[in-house]
Amino acid sequence: MEVTIKVFRYNPEKDKKPSYKTYKLEAIETDRVLDLLEKVKGYQDGTLSFRRSCAHGICGSDAMRINGFNRLACKTLVRDTGATIIVQPLLGLRVIKDLIVDMEPFFEHYRSVKPWLINDEPEPEKERTQSAAQRAIFDDTTKCILCACCTTSCPSFWANEQYVGPAAIVAAHRFIFDSRDKAAAERLKILNEVWGVYRCHTVFNCTMACPREIQITKAIGEVKMALTTGKLE
Amino acid sequence: MGLKRNVGLMEGLRYQGKGPMLTYYLHRISGLSIVIFVALHILAGYLSNQAWGSSTGLFINSIYESWIFQIYIFFCALFHAINGLRIVILDLWPKLIEYQREAIWIEWLVFLPIYSIALFVIIRSGLGG
Ligand code: FES
Repeated sequence: MEVTIKVFRYNPEKDKKPSYKTYKLEAIETDRVLDLLEKVKGYQDGTLSFRRSCAHGICGSDAMRINGFNRLACKTLVRDTGATIIVQPLLGLRVIKDLIVDMEPFFEHYRSVKPWLINDEPEPEKERTQSAAQRAIFDDTTKCILCACCTTSCPSFWANEQYVGPAAIVAAHRFIFDSRDKAAAERLKILNEVWGVYRCHTVFNCTMACPREIQITKAIGEVKMALTTGKLE
Repeated sequence: MGLKRNVGLMEGLRYQGKGPMLTYYLHRISGLSIVIFVALHILAGYLSNQAWGSSTGLFINSIYESWIFQIYIFFCALFHAINGLRIVILDLWPKLIEYQREAIWIEWLVFLPIYSIALFVIIRSGLGG
């Protein structure tokens, strides 16, 4: 089948304003949008810029708006998009070139919640043990690949980039509810700030957009609950 | 180098968030409508008691009393209430958030029959005079 792919283009060295360029190419149903972009770049227009690395939904570098909805290009089949595809950069982050956005504000929020294990207690002789049930509590939020699909689908983040965003809350959740970690109070305090967790208005755009199917709004809800009750369960 | 960060209202509105995002928008629109409605209602009540403004007050009142307006404002009030309840329930029991899609279906299932009955009554009395 022939597909038409309309791509957001912006070259900071030449263009004053962004524009759209349309490419037509042959594709099969099981092609992914990433394959189409590669084909365009390889055979039609070498100036097209986008990020990609693993091409298997693991690195999270090719998140973009496909037909108006945040997805990973490497996990989106032509079968699901139809023959006309519009590709735009993520919304709410600065566009550097074409489909490449500046991820720094996103990672800054990520770092702000201290996404690493904090535990000053003396190390046990062997490992820090954890039961399967304790592990299951935060299993969902360990799946995040930091693609930014969620944060850039969130109206609160669009409205103000100071909002810490769903991805950072997911990262915080992963450690707050980890029985081996001891800094839950510290992280909860950070998320209790003005631009923290209460900017979430349960729009569910993040949950819908997550390519890893993480129940993001649920994680945010659990963090809100922990803040309200002061208990981690 | 690069573009400025800029999320226009239209661009945001065009995001294909589907069902949940629609309820989010409807919640904002209905909330705003209710506030404007109540404010104007108080204003109209005040004005119609003043000799100098009574005709304006009566005019605002006549808008409210039109059945077409009632269809709109009843939609706002009912939707805002039911949607608000859904969010309150999900906020209080985060475990239920996993079933957020179902929650939205239930919301519409509760909303539609109530609204249809009200619609029926409003239109019948509106047309019947
Ligand atoms: S290229 Fe790695 S997630 Fe798509």
